[in-house]
Amino acid sequence: MNVLQDSSFTFKQETDDDSVFELLCRKYLQHKVIDAQLERQYLDSFDWRLYRNNLVCGFDRLNSSTHKQHNTQKGIFFVVDKKTGASICEFPVNRIPRFSDDITQQTCRKLLNELLGIRALITVASSAVKRRQLNILNQENKTILILRTESYTLTEQTDKHHYFSRLTVSPVKGYRKTFKQVRQYLIDQLKLPIAGKAMFDEILAASNKIPGPGVFTACQTLNDTHNTGEAVRILLHQFLEVMQANEPGLRDAIDTEFLHDYRVAVRRTRTLLGQIKHIFPAKQLDYFKREFLWLGQITGPTRDLDIYLLKFDDYRQELPKGMQNHLAPFQEFLERHWQIEHTLLRRKLDSKRYQKLIDKLHHILEDKDSSAQYTRLKRIAPQDTVNATKPARIVAGKILWKLYKQVLKEGKAITPQSPDEDLHELRKSCKKFRYLIEFFQDYYPSKSIKMLLKLLKALQDNLGDFQDLCIQTTQLNHFAEQMQQEGLANTQTLMAMGVLVEKLNVRKMSTRAEFEHRFNAFTQPDSKEPFSDLFKPQHQPKGITI
Amino acid sequence: MKIIACYNIKGGIGKTATAVNLAYLAAQEGARTLVWDLDPQGAASFYFRIKPKVKKGGKGLLEGKKTLDDVIKGTDFPHLDLVPADFSYRHLDLQLDDFKKSDARLHKLLKPLKAEYDTVFLDSPPSISLISENILKASNTIIVPTIPTTLSLRTLDQILSFCEKTGIAQSKILAFFSMVDMRKKLHKQIIENPPQNVRILKTCIPYASDVELMGVHRQPVSVFAKNSKASLAYQKLWQEIRNL
Repeated sequence: MNVLQDSSFTFKQETDDDSVFELLCRKYLQHKVIDAQLERQYLDSFDWRLYRNNLVCGFDRLNSSTHKQHNTQKGIFFVVDKKTGASICEFPVNRIPRFSDDITQQTCRKLLNELLGIRALITVASSAVKRRQLNILNQENKTILILRTESYTLTEQTDKHHYFSRLTVSPVKGYRKTFKQVRQYLIDQLKLPIAGKAMFDEILAASNKIPGPGVFTACQTLNDTHNTGEAVRILLHQFLEVMQANEPGLRDAIDTEFLHDYRVAVRRTRTLLGQIKHIFPAKQLDYFKREFLWLGQITGPTRDLDIYLLKFDDYRQELPKGMQNHLAPFQEFLERHWQIEHTLLRRKLDSKRYQKLIDKLHHILEDKDSSAQYTRLKRIAPQDTVNATKPARIVAGKILWKLYKQVLKEGKAITPQSPDEDLHELRKSCKKFRYLIEFFQDYYPSKSIKMLLKLLKALQDNLGDFQDLCIQTTQLNHFAEQMQQEGLANTQTLMAMGVLVEKLNVRKMSTRAEFEHRFNAFTQPDSKEPFSDLFKPQHQPKGITI
Repeated sequence: MKIIACYNIKGGIGKTATAVNLAYLAAQEGARTLVWDLDPQGAASFYFRIKPKVKKGGKGLLEGKKTLDDVIKGTDFPHLDLVPADFSYRHLDLQLDDFKKSDARLHKLLKPLKAEYDTVFLDSPPSISLISENILKASNTIIVPTIPTTLSLRTLDQILSFCEKTGIAQSKILAFFSMVDMRKKLHKQIIENPPQNVRILKTCIPYASDVELMGVHRQPVSVFAKNSKASLAYQKLWQEIRNL
């Protein structure tokens, strides 16, 4: 299909927009002018999922001073293609949707659902827009082309005043000739330059906003010159950055991913501190290990409740139709407890203990004079920091091989009669192993690492599902008791929860039965070979203690 | 892509007004909407100020010389497009007859637009013919505007038996009362005791001058008389259909 796309032009001078518009009005006498002043909010997820998929999403509200809709949140929600500016969807809404599930328009909901998942939309930039629209009409007074000058003023506080202006020519389907003529006139006669950069990019640049990945990615890669002490500091720095980037979002409970990503960074930090030994003095290491364990514990209850609330629809679906509504008090219970736990979490993040931990971590990471530091450290306790000056590649390889062997040993020891705890221990070992592979992946061919992670993931998925089901079945029973104590549970709800526990128990059994097959696949010679090839040391490195 | 036909054997009962107004409301909600004006009289095209002319005519479309996408025109409203009427559509019946699977030809023409539109309204000509059969078979929902009179109810029965004979599921049919004047005793009686053999929507569209004024304004009624009785009735009707 030969689809015409919007064309955008910039103005040579800031004052040109009005004069060009007047000129166009005189040239195309049969026209209609529509003026509007808008307050625009650009929306995206914290990790810029829409931007990264070449979409611009926003909400336009008619400026209350120029419109009757005073004190109303009503406005137009839109999604456009970032490059072409072509409208993908546009419809009125009573308030800005927070999640894609809040969108009633099906196509738009589906599109954003695929990209956003459970991430919330947040305002990433805002501007005041003065729009002058010229609809060129034919003899039937029908619009056959839309020309629009839009001038943008940033409404966020920035160092200086920013003002941008654009002329956009939007074709009307089936009126190709007029579009081409007008476009040519703007290029040939008015000599207007075609806009090179998307308007949204200009606005973001002016607001000093840089769309980043927002997820764990190594901003500094590890290389052969790094010793283990330096590598650990680089990694800890990255995890701290992730924690700090997610902290405001988890405090404001924008969406559940902030807390999730925060906790992942905490877990990664704990794994690194626990696995790469003899880098920090024992006393310092003990402090960080203890405090990060505490961070894991204080963030746990809110995350657990997040998971139950996220799974709530699935729980409902597990039940027969007639029983589904009986779970409503359970949802109420979860929401109430979530509020309590989240408030407690916020308080703990405001505590001196937390602040001290972050300050101390900053302190050890910002001390760049590593050689002097190590000398100092050696003076304190040389055996504590014996690995710090060893090459990171060698130390990492040795630890990865040890962890791999540990995974195999623990897995082989599991029989159908083994207690659930054994699978839980194996799950923890697998997780540590995967984290370590990810931390030090720069030292290995990326293709091999991808393959190893895929093999490991198949096993981890099974262990993860099993552990989740174990916790859920126990916890649901516990919740039911708690609801009774709080006077929230009626017989119907308790029965529904009982049925749910039964269903989850059945799934738990089948997941457990699947383990043997998954572990066998993981230990097949074909699967073992790539791990050995990558991590098995050719000779025993000297002077490394793990 | 949901295909909704506005159909009745009778003329002048509000098919086009229904298609145009509901399509406008669907587009306003953000659905990418297309109206295909299949009536050679071209009233829907007129309402949207679009010339009732299709290059190579209906035959060109049927023979694949032109695709539907080639002849679509944008209306004055965002995300609302139109396939205009063409005088040659009066021969569509004969032209369809020349094709294999002649009752499914229309559906085949619409298929490539699946990714482009969420909702398609087919404004059908007042007839009971091969083109009607094509329209009814291509649609997921068939809206039948019905004036609450004895003759109109008789026509509704004829539509139902036509569907039965041609293998079209009667469950697709949604009738509603159109051009209602509650001052008329017969209208009132029929609305209070609607036929039981077909699904009748709760919303009635009143006999209102604002609907007639669409021809003067050449716009959907919700554009020039947003809060009028007629506009509110169409909004309610659309909500009812959409939520089914």
